[in-house]
Amino acid sequence: MNRVFKALSDPTRRRVLQLLRERPLSAGELADRFAVSKPTMSAHFSVLQDADLIEAEKRGRTILYRLKMSVLEDALLGFIQTVGWETKPDKAGGKVSAIEGEQPRPLKGNL
Amino acid sequence: MATRPLSYRLAPVLLALSTLLAIWTWYVQPQHASAWAITLALLAIMMLAGLAVRRSKSGAASRRAADSVMVGIVFAGLMLASSLGLKLATTLGATSRSDLAQRMLMVILGAFFTFTGNALPKTLTPLTAKCDGTRVQTFQRFAGWTWVLTGLTFATAWLVLPVHLAQPVSLVLLLGGMLIIGMRIVRLRRTRQREA
Repeated sequence: MNRVFKALSDPTRRRVLQLLRERPLSAGELADRFAVSKPTMSAHFSVLQDADLIEAEKRGRTILYRLKMSVLEDALLGFIQTVGWETKPDKAGGKVSAIEGEQPRPLKGNL
Repeated sequence: MATRPLSYRLAPVLLALSTLLAIWTWYVQPQHASAWAITLALLAIMMLAGLAVRRSKSGAASRRAADSVMVGIVFAGLMLASSLGLKLATTLGATSRSDLAQRMLMVILGAFFTFTGNALPKTLTPLTAKCDGTRVQTFQRFAGWTWVLTGLTFATAWLVLPVHLAQPVSLVLLLGGMLIIGMRIVRLRRTRQREA
């Protein structure tokens, strides 16, 4: 459960989960939506995978990420989003402050 | 090394407790002894099979299946232990509430529904190239939430309502939950057939 809390404590990772709630997305599609470097984004994906909140599937050359959250984790994410829970950026989220407060850009129809 | 889920430690403990209680109940009420013995033996075999799968070098899918079986054994063990414990308590005159065993069993059953519903979005089949990932994911989340709410309301009904009311209400809740998920599956299949 500690890993889940760690994963949910970061705003970028929460936004990734929020985007994946809509539909599964590729690593590139997700990375394009944030003003952070690809290695940082990759580290965020690792943290989320480590917490078993997302699952990666290889499709040809792309990696497709999909949500893998239990109902409790889903509710926890909703709760944290509602009440707001900001912590100091961790190793993976070093550049999070650059997009602090920024809303995710709307998804294009067919990426 | 992957850590074993808590269910692998709880299952043997609960089965051992149930066996002890069954032996005691057998001593007090010998007429139902064979039924308890068969149930306990079956659960013990399933538990040993689950442990064997977990110890072997089998794939992730087999281990996930063993984990699910072990969770089922934990809930079955809880039901058996509480049922036998209350039966024994009633026989020995420690409690006079005859509906307590039924209520407890149903609350545990509600907790089981909640537990399985909670894990549903995590355990359903992986996406294939033919699947519409968005629809599958939406269905998984919907089914999970519906089953969790069904389980919670089922358990609450047995906790707060009188038995004569809890029985029909919990049945309606259970059937309602199944019907809602079933209708969603039918809709999903129809949409897929229409698009094919």
